[in-house]
Amino acid sequence: MDSQTSQPFIQIRDLRKTYVMGRNKVHALDGVDLDIEFGSLTVVMGPSGSGKSTLLYLLGGLDRLTSGRIHVDGQALEQMDENALAVYRRRVVGFIFQSFNLMPTLTALDNVAFPMRFSGIAPKARRKKAFELLKQVGLEKRALHKPTELSGGQQQRVAVARALVNDPKLILADEPTGNLDTASGFAIMQLLSDLHRAGRTVLVVTHDPRMLQFATNVIYLLDGKTVSQAEYEAASTFSQPQEITEGNS
Amino acid sequence: MRLIDLLSLIADNLGRRKGRVALTAIGVVIGTAAVVLLVSLAIGLQQNATSQLWGIDDLTRIDVSPGYSEGPVISGRGGVVAVSELGGGMQVKNLTPAAIDEIASLPGVEHVIPRDYLWGGGTMRYGRLENYPSIMGVGTNDLSVFGYQLREGSLQLERGTAVIGHWIAQNWYDPKARPGDGQPEQPDLVGKTVTVTLMKWAEDGTMIEKKVQVRVVGILAEQRSEADGWMFMRLDDVTAYNEWFQGKRINRNKDGYPMLVVKASDPDKVIEVAEQINNMGFMASTPQSVVEGINSFFTVLQITFGGVGAIALLVAAIGIANTMTMAILERTREIGLMKAIGATNRDVLTIFLGESAGIGFIGGLGGIAIGWVGGELLNILARTYLSSQPSYGMGGQLTASTPTWLLLFALVFATLVGLISGLYPSVRAATLVPVTALKYE
Ligand SMILES: Nc1ncnc2c1ncn2[C@@H]1O[C@H](COP(=O)(O)OP(=O)(O)O)[C@@H](O)[C@H]1O
Ligand SMILES: [Mg+2]
Repeated sequence: MDSQTSQPFIQIRDLRKTYVMGRNKVHALDGVDLDIEFGSLTVVMGPSGSGKSTLLYLLGGLDRLTSGRIHVDGQALEQMDENALAVYRRRVVGFIFQSFNLMPTLTALDNVAFPMRFSGIAPKARRKKAFELLKQVGLEKRALHKPTELSGGQQQRVAVARALVNDPKLILADEPTGNLDTASGFAIMQLLSDLHRAGRTVLVVTHDPRMLQFATNVIYLLDGKTVSQAEYEAASTFSQPQEITEGNS
Repeated sequence: MRLIDLLSLIADNLGRRKGRVALTAIGVVIGTAAVVLLVSLAIGLQQNATSQLWGIDDLTRIDVSPGYSEGPVISGRGGVVAVSELGGGMQVKNLTPAAIDEIASLPGVEHVIPRDYLWGGGTMRYGRLENYPSIMGVGTNDLSVFGYQLREGSLQLERGTAVIGHWIAQNWYDPKARPGDGQPEQPDLVGKTVTVTLMKWAEDGTMIEKKVQVRVVGILAEQRSEADGWMFMRLDDVTAYNEWFQGKRINRNKDGYPMLVVKASDPDKVIEVAEQINNMGFMASTPQSVVEGINSFFTVLQITFGGVGAIALLVAAIGIANTMTMAILERTREIGLMKAIGATNRDVLTIFLGESAGIGFIGGLGGIAIGWVGGELLNILARTYLSSQPSYGMGGQLTASTPTWLLLFALVFATLVGLISGLYPSVRAATLVPVTALKYE
């Protein structure tokens, strides 16, 4: 498994992320080891505050780890400087957020095309590519609509299209259905599954069990540590009420 | 990131916050307009002042007067210059023909022309009209060496002829006219002979008159210099009149000439030649030194005026910094997103710097437009109010002059002010940790 000859697409070793808040230290990730194969669809499950988002942000190069290592596609993220990380985010990763994070003043088309402004692609080619992607998520008729003129599900589909714009190998989705109704949420899940079947590696954080039918593997997180399904289920029977009171963020 | 993408993104970002950008830019508009208007005014005043300086038209000219000094003058050149003793140990170095030769032999000197004034009064008559010129004798038969422009006739002086200045030619008056008659029609004098009456008082108190006939050969165009008030004649004529006034011969070898006009071959040599003449013990003054003095005064004025405008711009800069800081707070999530989709720190930095420079640029454009229009309006006002009064050759007009370099400078400066005020907020934006920015509410 840890042979040098066939390294997995993602290899995480003893990953720790500690937030220091005044005197308190929060161990958001507390020694995570993971191997994720290329072309897999991984569902990350865990109660609120278990470190799911932290894991995804670290994988996406959006934050710095405290210790350990993360290798993605043969690149060591912990050794990268700011610029290298930016290039990594641009070339390797497509990120999908729970809250869409669309630019409110731009049309769907321009939102999808937006990342290409940073990668030096000519405007015409940008629009063409963006339109193709909107078509792929079934929104070509909404291309010139602003986010406020779109439903939540449609906005998230725009965000998915945007995540695909630089043709990333790795798709990271942090509770992409969290703000959506059941039907639109399922549409997004199918979309992610399509991406997986098209050969991309997908990691999805979700509470929705319907996602499991598309998954090739599942990771369970508890208090910043990976646990087995059995441990997770045992714990979640106790933590269920807690999850409701805390909400899911 | 490509430059056009950067610029279009900056334009988009400014465009979607038009109201706030405009409000912030107004500060820059005011500051830039103040800089442009005030500096234009200073430049305009300077141009006016220098153009109205007497005799400033000729930058190769050096006026030399006799040198006065205390104590004995050591004549370094074998005593060729006459030194006469005044009371109280004052020494005067006279401008004798020998001194003229010596000055003429200095390198860079082209002409040395002695001058002398008519020592008494002279009334000029033509028909029933009278005129009271100041008569100036010049030691040359060609007035063109002074660079004077001719209105009519010729600049060649012979004995018994005169070239008259612009004012003189227009200041004939009729002694028999009644009050309110206005100025009589001015005669066309070129080629005409006028009578000049010289007057002096004898020892017994009786008045003696001497009438001389002088033919006017030329009239000068307006020079805006002392020449406008002169009637130029040959030095030998004027010397003869002065001898008549004095009743005795004048010994130039002893008394010298009251003034020399030295012409340098090149304006660049003027200062050097003047220095050498001063070292010889004479007093040389150049229009250049006057111009330099005036220029340095106006440079100070420009800097002061510019400084007032710059303070206004500084206030505007604080406004820009404030707007950009607010913008970064409001757009924190947007910054996080830009980073998440692959913008580098430098991309974010240049976008925000570009936006604040853009505000400065927009404000600068508005400011130079308003400043320039303001200057022109001032000129129109000055023209309508001041030109209605008769000009006495030195109009003393309040005018603004806006050179292109000032407009460009003001625009660049305003843009720089924007850029610099955006520096701190932009660096903060660029160095935000993406995840922190994305989580910002
Ligand atoms: N910026 C932060 N500062 C301090 N603590 C944080 C920060 N981000 C996350 N945490 C803490 O880290 C833990 C994991 O957070 P997170 O990864 O967001 O959990 P999840 O996404 O599973 O709900 C939580 O206890 C959370 O409070
Ligand atoms: Mg989360």
